[in-house]
Amino acid sequence: MKRLSFVEVVERLNKFWAKQGCTTVMPLDTEVGAGTFHPATFFKSLGNEKWRTAYIQPSRRPTDGRYADNPLRMQYYYQYQVLVKPSPREIKNIYLDSLKSLGIDLDLHEIRFVEDDWESPTLGAQGLGWEVWLDSLEITQFTYFQQIGGIELDMVSCEITYGIERLCMFIQNKNNVFDLEWQNGLKYGDLHKRHEIEHSKYNFDESNIDMHLKMFEFFEKEASALLSKKLVYPAYSFVLKASHAFNLLDARGAIGQSERARYIARIRSLAKRCAELYLSAAQGAATTS
Amino acid sequence: MKTATKDFLLEINVETLPVLYPRPWVETLQKELIKELEAQRIGYGGTYSACNKNLLICYIKGVSLHQEEISREVLGPPKHVAFDKEGNLTKQACGFAKTQGVKIEDLKIKKTAKGEYIYVEKKEKARPTKDILRDVVPEIIKNVHFPKTMRWDSSGFRFARPVESLLLLLGKDNLRIKAGNVPQKKVSGVTASVYLKKIQKASLIDPDERKDAIKKLILGKLGFLKADPQVDEALLEEVNFMVNSPQIFVGQFDKRFLRLPKDVLIASMSKYQRVFPVLQKGHITNNFIAIIEKGKRDMAGIRKNYENILEARLKDSLFFFDEDTKKPFKENAEQLKSLIFQKKLGNMSEKIERLKGLSRFICEKLALDEGLKSNIQRAAELSKLDLITLMVGEFPSLQGVMGGEYALKSGESKEVSQAIKEHYLPQGMDDKLPGSLESSILAISDRIDNVVGFLGTGVDISGSFDPFGIRRNTQGLIQIIEKKALRLRIDEVIQKSIELYNDKLTVDRGQLKDKIVDYIKERIEYLIGDVRPIELKAAILEIKYFDIVDIFNRIKIFSSISDKKFFSEAAKIVERTNNILKAARKGEIGKVDKNLFEETLEHELWKAYLNMRPKMQDLVNNEKYEEATREYAKAFYKILHDFFDHVMVNTEKVSLRLNRLAMMDTINRLYTERVADLAKLPQIIVK
Repeated sequence: MKRLSFVEVVERLNKFWAKQGCTTVMPLDTEVGAGTFHPATFFKSLGNEKWRTAYIQPSRRPTDGRYADNPLRMQYYYQYQVLVKPSPREIKNIYLDSLKSLGIDLDLHEIRFVEDDWESPTLGAQGLGWEVWLDSLEITQFTYFQQIGGIELDMVSCEITYGIERLCMFIQNKNNVFDLEWQNGLKYGDLHKRHEIEHSKYNFDESNIDMHLKMFEFFEKEASALLSKKLVYPAYSFVLKASHAFNLLDARGAIGQSERARYIARIRSLAKRCAELYLSAAQGAATTS
Repeated sequence: MKTATKDFLLEINVETLPVLYPRPWVETLQKELIKELEAQRIGYGGTYSACNKNLLICYIKGVSLHQEEISREVLGPPKHVAFDKEGNLTKQACGFAKTQGVKIEDLKIKKTAKGEYIYVEKKEKARPTKDILRDVVPEIIKNVHFPKTMRWDSSGFRFARPVESLLLLLGKDNLRIKAGNVPQKKVSGVTASVYLKKIQKASLIDPDERKDAIKKLILGKLGFLKADPQVDEALLEEVNFMVNSPQIFVGQFDKRFLRLPKDVLIASMSKYQRVFPVLQKGHITNNFIAIIEKGKRDMAGIRKNYENILEARLKDSLFFFDEDTKKPFKENAEQLKSLIFQKKLGNMSEKIERLKGLSRFICEKLALDEGLKSNIQRAAELSKLDLITLMVGEFPSLQGVMGGEYALKSGESKEVSQAIKEHYLPQGMDDKLPGSLESSILAISDRIDNVVGFLGTGVDISGSFDPFGIRRNTQGLIQIIEKKALRLRIDEVIQKSIELYNDKLTVDRGQLKDKIVDYIKERIEYLIGDVRPIELKAAILEIKYFDIVDIFNRIKIFSSISDKKFFSEAAKIVERTNNILKAARKGEIGKVDKNLFEETLEHELWKAYLNMRPKMQDLVNNEKYEEATREYAKAFYKILHDFFDHVMVNTEKVSLRLNRLAMMDTINRLYTERVADLAKLPQIIVK
């Protein structure tokens, strides 16, 4: 198995999925917790329009920070996100082929599909599917979406989300993410270690609670106002900002148990309105065109 | 008439199913198929089912190719209308033959209770089995239940996971059915039985055979490692549905991780990586056993990957453990004030106060010694502190367990630590119960506090939707009380718990208590399971005084005497008095006035009652239910029958009637209120 660098792995995935008819979109420039939050997945999975996309998405999960001490877990990492809508019958085999395209030999190593029904409570997203294990390392989340923004989907999409770092650790035979080769001998840690340590410190110890509490309120209000003005993309961008503010507050320990559920419900209700507005506009456009 | 038969096979190929889905589904599928065959009058022989994570198979031998033909009798006009005076068939008779589509020669005469009628024998057309199967199989597949189903294409067809293909074979015939857009496999020139043999040869599709094979592999390695020959059965069953053909290897992790508590090590291995821990004389070793899918594998590479991942996880755990144990355990107490127990029910600090109060109450009721009481109080005080530790934050399933570990490490006594550790048990239907008396009482207190709190603020169960686990909480507390034989009036404990909640509860307190008692009864009924006769359960659960141990005791005793003569006699007494009381209106019946007696038998019956009453009370107080039943039968059976034969209870004179009814009521309640309401049993025949 050729020791592909991080950048090479991404290039190969881009190439593979482009061949499958996926549109490469650029990563979102707002902080998000997963590739699912990108409009290319969140909005495009709604309605009955066919769509295939693949893209890399930096993802932030403040509670997962470990001050760069943990070899596998970080608060900032890269997901490779694929959405295929509608999901073709052979999608599982296509996915396995994508792994082969990275040089992974599925006979020498064991692939296992382990039940995991992924959901994002803030997005009102729900699906059934699996974690994919490669020699017991989880490398992918494989999900058939049933609901987005609380809306039951007519056309079911298949979302395939790779954890690129983990995939690379496997391919490069490394134990620690910071030792991964990024490109041309440069290590992942050279680019990310200090970033990881400082952000862990920020998330757990230093973030300004008061500021983020206020920001959450501002973002929520703005999102709501924009929804009334029927500006779905700007509204959604503020929903994402609110969601990230919540994640930071959560990592900081500023939100109690019952409060947590309420915050999530507030974000979800905004996400739901965005989804509904998007759909009604899409249907409106369909009837007028 | 013997019809031709063929073997039938239904094969469903599906994407990897959740581990607990295949077995129950395929068993139900088989049951439903058989039920349908019988309903359709199709004969069959032996049945077989098998499953793995990708395959659901149902096989039925010797299925008749046609339905059994049956004939029905259709009655026509009576004979005197069907034949005229000369004995010829009338217009009505011919008309009848015509509408039934038969020739007049086929008309027959039948003698009925109402006289002679003409009739025809109509044969129900026997449909070919393959047509029937094509109709019913898709319906059956759709209706067999999965906890969760999904859609994956535009057909709207739902299943647990995407179905790759379907195959129905009847002999060599491929039966095509419509199930969403699921592709149908087509095999030619192969019979169902040959096809089955082929797949059986390819891998162990029988789940029990496969499980045994895996277990054997593991025990083999354990023997080789000179380790304890114990295999986690729950994990084994999961792994049974994660690989189709097993292969085994042994891995290791760094010994420094053995510093971690045993439960953390076991959870990291079994729960998160699905590998088997290896113990020697009960102590964890730094080995593990993994089962993977057979193949031409790079075993060294795979082992190394497993080891790296396990170590990464253990590294996390060690980090948490060291952070958590940096300060004394009890210092976490302050933080509990900001940890919410449940919306509307306050924080964890408040819950702890209630637990202390409730467990103190229970200890007093059980007259336990001071040492035990103070252990439980201490355990209650510390019982929720682990909820704010990093370890439990990462591994929520370790709540309680970590509490116990951290308490022990902090210098608490073994008894206190054990109580903390075990107070969440049992964690499932087949999980073990708390071991010590301290853990049991703390566990019961916690569960009652949960149930009272949830139901007391308007949460409820609807159908199978029980998000707060009210059923699970209730069931566990019953099991603990029964196992430890804790003689408690559960209604009193519930009452105390309601009081401890003060003003937090929003539901009416009287109704709340009754509702909880009802849930407990419902769970007891479920836990008791099969009993003969089945109505015994209801008969016993009617009793007002609520001691759970006593209830189980009664069930046991009554099950053993339910076929005895004196039991039937006692039941008969209850039944007859009950029946006669049905005529009485509510509130009509007052007290018995012996001055109104007119017959000798009335005096005698009353004397028998007065004699029996203290005896009954005494026997019931000593829980001698068998003897109570025997004495009751002896006291009343014969005399009551004489009474009914010679005395008219429902006489015209109102005062007399009411007095006699009052006596019937008193005799009835003497038994039904204290022992069992045997009127709930089906009609009794005394042999």
